[in-house]
Amino acid sequence: MDRLKMLEKEGLLKSRQGSRAVGKFLQNKLAVLGLMVFAVILLASVFAPLITKYDPAMIDLRSRLSPPSWQHLFGTDKLGRDVFARVLYGGRISILVGFGGALGAALVGVSLGTYAGYKGGWLDRILLRVSEIFMAFPQIILVLLLVSILGQSLWNLLVIFTITGWGSVYRMTRSQMLSIREEEYVQALKAFGLSDALIAYKHMLPNALGPIMVNLTLSTAMFILEETALSFLGLGVPLHIPTWGNILNAAQDLTILQEAWWIWVPVGIVISAFVLSINFIGDGLRDAVDPTQQG
Amino acid sequence: MLTYTLRKLLMLIPMLLVITFLIYVGLELTPGDAVSYMVGPDALANMSQEKLNELREALGLNDPFIVRYLRWLGRALRGDFGYSLTSGVPIKDIVFSRLPATLELSVAALLFSTLLGSILGMASALKKGSIMDVSLTVAGMIGVSIPQFFFALVSILIFSFKLGWLPSGGRTMPGYTTFLDRLPHLILPALVLGITMTAGVMRYSRSSMLDALSKDYIKTARSKGLPEWRVNLLHGFRVALTPVVVLVGFRLPMLIGGSVVVEQIFQWPGIGKEFVAAVRGQNLPLVMMIALFTVTAVLVASFLVDLITALLDPRIRLE
Amino acid sequence: MVYVDTILTVDNLHINFYTNNRCNEAVRGVSFQLKKGRTLCLVGESGCGKSVTASSIMRLLPPLSRIEEGRIIYHSEQGDIHLHELAANGPEIRSIRGAEIAMIFQDPMTALNPVYTVGFQIREAFLYHTKMAKAAMQQKAIELLRSMRIPAPEQRVNEYIHQYSGGMRQRAMIAMAMSCNPKILIADEPTTALDVTVQAQIFDLMNDLQKKHNAAILLITHDMGVVAELAHDVVVMYMGVAVENGPVEEVLTKPAHPYTSALLKSIPVLGQSRSKKLEPIRGSTPDPYNRPQGCQFRPRCDFATEKCLQEPEACSVGENHTVKCWHWEKVLANA
Repeated sequence: MDRLKMLEKEGLLKSRQGSRAVGKFLQNKLAVLGLMVFAVILLASVFAPLITKYDPAMIDLRSRLSPPSWQHLFGTDKLGRDVFARVLYGGRISILVGFGGALGAALVGVSLGTYAGYKGGWLDRILLRVSEIFMAFPQIILVLLLVSILGQSLWNLLVIFTITGWGSVYRMTRSQMLSIREEEYVQALKAFGLSDALIAYKHMLPNALGPIMVNLTLSTAMFILEETALSFLGLGVPLHIPTWGNILNAAQDLTILQEAWWIWVPVGIVISAFVLSINFIGDGLRDAVDPTQQG
Repeated sequence: MLTYTLRKLLMLIPMLLVITFLIYVGLELTPGDAVSYMVGPDALANMSQEKLNELREALGLNDPFIVRYLRWLGRALRGDFGYSLTSGVPIKDIVFSRLPATLELSVAALLFSTLLGSILGMASALKKGSIMDVSLTVAGMIGVSIPQFFFALVSILIFSFKLGWLPSGGRTMPGYTTFLDRLPHLILPALVLGITMTAGVMRYSRSSMLDALSKDYIKTARSKGLPEWRVNLLHGFRVALTPVVVLVGFRLPMLIGGSVVVEQIFQWPGIGKEFVAAVRGQNLPLVMMIALFTVTAVLVASFLVDLITALLDPRIRLE
Repeated sequence: MVYVDTILTVDNLHINFYTNNRCNEAVRGVSFQLKKGRTLCLVGESGCGKSVTASSIMRLLPPLSRIEEGRIIYHSEQGDIHLHELAANGPEIRSIRGAEIAMIFQDPMTALNPVYTVGFQIREAFLYHTKMAKAAMQQKAIELLRSMRIPAPEQRVNEYIHQYSGGMRQRAMIAMAMSCNPKILIADEPTTALDVTVQAQIFDLMNDLQKKHNAAILLITHDMGVVAELAHDVVVMYMGVAVENGPVEEVLTKPAHPYTSALLKSIPVLGQSRSKKLEPIRGSTPDPYNRPQGCQFRPRCDFATEKCLQEPEACSVGENHTVKCWHWEKVLANA
């Protein structure tokens, strides 16, 4: 406090210039740290071929279950595949599924929520009920139910995440739209005779984007966790494709769990770090776009 | 209060109807003969094609869809959910024999996470901005970011294999009779399940407490000369508790589904493990019925939670 | 009033707020004396620091704010107590809160806890200041409600605040504040949330209580009508500064500060001829983070000169009547 008092006396504290949201986000040390970790893991996965010379699917029976060494940073698995390469390449799929699922859910939820939230009426009431039904299922039960109906594949997983995730996005977008609807500029646009869709999507939606972005970030984290859990159970992405969850699947084997920690501990830490970094970013975004937390 | 209860009930029933309808559609679309999960498998094996057709007619499988649905619903209401495809055991028996194990695990995890989470969250709110608050918040974030199964694997490795303190799985051993005998088996799965939830409860009770502490009546309570503990506990905590109770209430039924992964890893013989086995074995009737069971539990529980909230909050109770 | 003496002295009070990484000097030099059996009104527009001043007396300031300078002295029967030196929420201040000094707030709906009965909240006040049995507390709570003219108090005592009507809520609040016969009652805009007819009832009640217990009342308000009606003394605040301080008749009839004078011209007075025009104060209240140099009212003042770039000192206008303005004589002559 004394420091602040001194600074204020000397007139050093000016009202902040520029975008308040960006400034606020950058001030949040955890969010910036999260952004850095996120970028490192994402880039390492994208540019996997430049980082490792190993093919994640290459079986080398001469060096099975070898512990970490300079040759194999994270060691090798039961079939002699390089675990480091598998973690890098696996990140591609896991991140893709997580982000793709979140994006799919957001697309459906936002496009429905924007229009229904603006128009109200029977469409909104029906969609609200439908989303309630989807949300009454425990997430993993609904996902597994759909897996057993649709079958296991990468694309099915994306579809399933979209189906399970759109409800909460819909409800959030809708409530945003409900409050924006009351603003005067919307009344003015209506008076101009603009079409409903134009008002809803072009003029109102941009004002609701902040919370939607936060939701997108946080649900990416959630879907990555779900993909890894499903694949770990052997019910997610088919086992021959390396994903973070599929790598961990090996740890269901008790000998591997006890003797070959390098197969599953590093990837577990990478998943945790990646999800944590997204959560930090999401939290930072939430604080930055939340107008009720000025300052 | 009575009208409130009725209003909530009126919203619950149509939802359940729609869900059962969807589940029934799912069952009908299931490949395979509907007879197979309505009749015990032994009887089915000894049946000729002719007999089967007669049975179809007798069972009303050739009736219109909506009639079949209503008949199915009627049977379900009486507790007849059909038979499991793989074992031939009535689904009702499977669910009810697995339920106690799941409930035991869920309640243990719920108690642990609620107590720890609400106390840490409220303490964190009282010392807002302190080092403790910041580190608890970060710890909470880490808690929700670590995959539950990874956490389970690490804890098995450390506590079961390296230290040998606790069993790595199962619920009981031959010769175990009392709950105390079984307790060591419960600790790890309940802990793992509880940790993730603790983070959520903590975060929620922190914000709920901060909200309560910013209210005018906190200042009024101080202006009466009340000691801080009374201000914080009776006026802050008590008010902040209501939303936390609601959250926990919602958590309980979600746990019946949410313990799937933990049950699988610890070989805990509950509904979740059964569910995974059913999904793996493409045992769709069982998958559908367990899903129906959990969603019903969630809806009924949230109905009850609404009633409890109303009882805790005089503004609703006395309406 | 036969016997008048001071019960509370506030002397050159400065309070800063440190929110949003900025330092806001919310109160910058407020002095007044509160006397037994009299009502002092702190008047000013919202954000002028009047509520902050009131809260600081009870040491109820929010975190991230503190008393920088000045003194708050409570002249109790046991001798002077330096309130500004006590630990916030410590045992000394707690023994004074509720027992010696009590406070009522603007909106009873939010200032009373919704999950406890009114009776419970009144009894709480007894709990730490008296040694009554629980039944006696309940009896006393009922009596208090009755004395506040709340109908069927035996029943009302067990009801919740949302079951009360607006006026009854504030009366319950006053009952709670008066429960331990405090020597000082601080009322922070007690009628702003109420209808005009109910306002009068509440003020009647406060007047009665004052006569009965010889309590001193510190009334925070923005309403000059309330000041004229109730106050014995008045302190006018602007941007954290107590610009004028004196007996109510003097200040209202002979305002010596341009702000007071402008304020009086800007409000309608009952019975005033229609031909008299209301004059709004020109300009607007400055940003507290970007304050004018010297006299805070300078940018909006008709009398402003070079001299006003220096902070004015308190000048004595008459007996007990002081003003912080370099040109008060001109203001008086102009009126």
